[in-house]
Amino acid sequence: MIIEKTLNLLNRFEKGITFLAFAVLVCVMFADVAIREITGTGLHWSRQIGVYANLFVVMFGLGVASSEGAHLRPKFADHWLPESWNPFLTRIQEAIMSLFCLLFAIVAFQVVVETYNDAVQSIVLRVVVWPFQAVIPIAFLLTSIRHLFYTIDPSHRPSTEHERVDEKSNGDDL
Amino acid sequence: MTAALLPVIIILLFVLRQNLIVVLGVATAYAYWAFGDGVIGNIVVDAWDAANKDILLSIPLFILAGNIMSRGGMAARLIHLMKSLTAPIPGGLAIATILSCAAFAAVSGSGMVTLLAIGTLMYPALINAGYPKSFAIGSLCAAGTLGIVIPPSIPLILYGIMTQTSIADLFIAGIGPALVLTFLMLSYAIIQNFGHREGNWDFSYVLRSLKNGVWALLMPIIILGGIYTGYFTATESAAVAVVYSIIVEIFIHKEMKWDVLYEVISETTKLLGSLFPVLMIALSLNVFLTYQEVPQNLVIWLSQRIDNPVSALLGINLFLLVIGCLVDIGSAILILAPMLGPIAFSQGIDPIHFGIIMVMNLEIGYLTPPLGLNIIIAMSIFKEKFWTVCKSTIPFLLIMLLGLMIVSFIPTISLFLIK
Repeated sequence: MIIEKTLNLLNRFEKGITFLAFAVLVCVMFADVAIREITGTGLHWSRQIGVYANLFVVMFGLGVASSEGAHLRPKFADHWLPESWNPFLTRIQEAIMSLFCLLFAIVAFQVVVETYNDAVQSIVLRVVVWPFQAVIPIAFLLTSIRHLFYTIDPSHRPSTEHERVDEKSNGDDL
Repeated sequence: MTAALLPVIIILLFVLRQNLIVVLGVATAYAYWAFGDGVIGNIVVDAWDAANKDILLSIPLFILAGNIMSRGGMAARLIHLMKSLTAPIPGGLAIATILSCAAFAAVSGSGMVTLLAIGTLMYPALINAGYPKSFAIGSLCAAGTLGIVIPPSIPLILYGIMTQTSIADLFIAGIGPALVLTFLMLSYAIIQNFGHREGNWDFSYVLRSLKNGVWALLMPIIILGGIYTGYFTATESAAVAVVYSIIVEIFIHKEMKWDVLYEVISETTKLLGSLFPVLMIALSLNVFLTYQEVPQNLVIWLSQRIDNPVSALLGINLFLLVIGCLVDIGSAILILAPMLGPIAFSQGIDPIHFGIIMVMNLEIGYLTPPLGLNIIIAMSIFKEKFWTVCKSTIPFLLIMLLGLMIVSFIPTISLFLIK
């Protein structure tokens, strides 16, 4: 119950942020073109804002992709181990993903701390960069938590795109 | 020993069914640790630098524009238009199918979306009109892949980013090969279905269909026309495409509500969330490999063994065809473009031309087992067995291979609009 509530909350949070960021991305990029056509000069800051908005979209999109089982995964080795191992493999798969995201979040956090200490600024916007960079460790940490939940209780794990197609085609196997 | 351990780790991760981001992330971290300065944090720094480029913005914007168009009624409008235009030609419905796929691909930018949108509507129509089932399945699966080479193509954008090649030029270069493939498929459709006649021209129906489909047809004209005339950059044209698609679907066609737009954005975010973090890590690995002069050394080593562009082209084509069977197109481009690009360039193959060859090779992978994405989608939407779909695609596979050879050995087809 707690897992389900937390996952739903996480999902709403990530989808809400990505929607807002996408709206900002589209608006600033189009405004740049439109204003250039009207006044002859574009918005010099629009691309940098667009880049940061895109960073929010794709980083929190990492969690959205996890929640929908949409991550890219080469599947050629899927049948190399016995099918009876599948429940065990599922937990291992989720545990490794969770651990990877956690380690990436830690390394990214250290980089953000360095950027903060050096007070690195965006040349175009003249604001400090670290709040935007901080999106990387936060997104990876949230994704790590999500996959930890899937490891603990795989029933919350979404079916992947291929599994959904297989179900629709009545399990017609490859 | 240190170098030999890396492939073992990678294979182990594949066996443990890890996502590409984990495999690539671990491989990159291992490379930094074992062969670089040992500072793993540099992956994040390089990934950040990679993401901090405005050229990447064309990817989310083109995917969003394509998804908006796909969720509206664009597919049905294009089909009506193509059917009205091809009615008196032998095999008219088959031709309409291929042309609808080509036109819709230019709007959606995705092979899978094209197959889903056009296939759902055209498959029953082809069967009801008496076309053989194998032709109907094969033509839809094959023509569905046209979206991969017809601009705006996401694989071409990925190739442009990984090899620092102009995306605008790649888009323009995609037009010729797309026309070759479409022409070859159309010729086969006419020869195979010469006895099928749908009826005569109905001029008022043509006019009505044209009126209904004109907004969809204008989309590729705005994008490509804007890029070709130098009016827009690729990123700017993507932003224009999004706003245009919203205006057309919500205000002109009135076939989309605002709440559906929210769903479409979520759907797009899901795609981007699976693609972009991998892209960032792949670019980080690319920086590392370039710093370590790996591609340069690979080129020197291969140059001693390959002495002419023909054998280089044949070898690369064969290699990519095998890779296309096993790995999805996005992953293959992210990993292989920076490695194979320098080899091809050292043999005098134009970077733009090589990008088209690479994408066309991997496009064929959509129709080949075990990974063939269009085969899997066709199984689902046409409710057919895997081998039935595979057999249906064989003639089209041969046609696409012929197209690939033509485009590979006649660079002018890709480059004539650029030069």
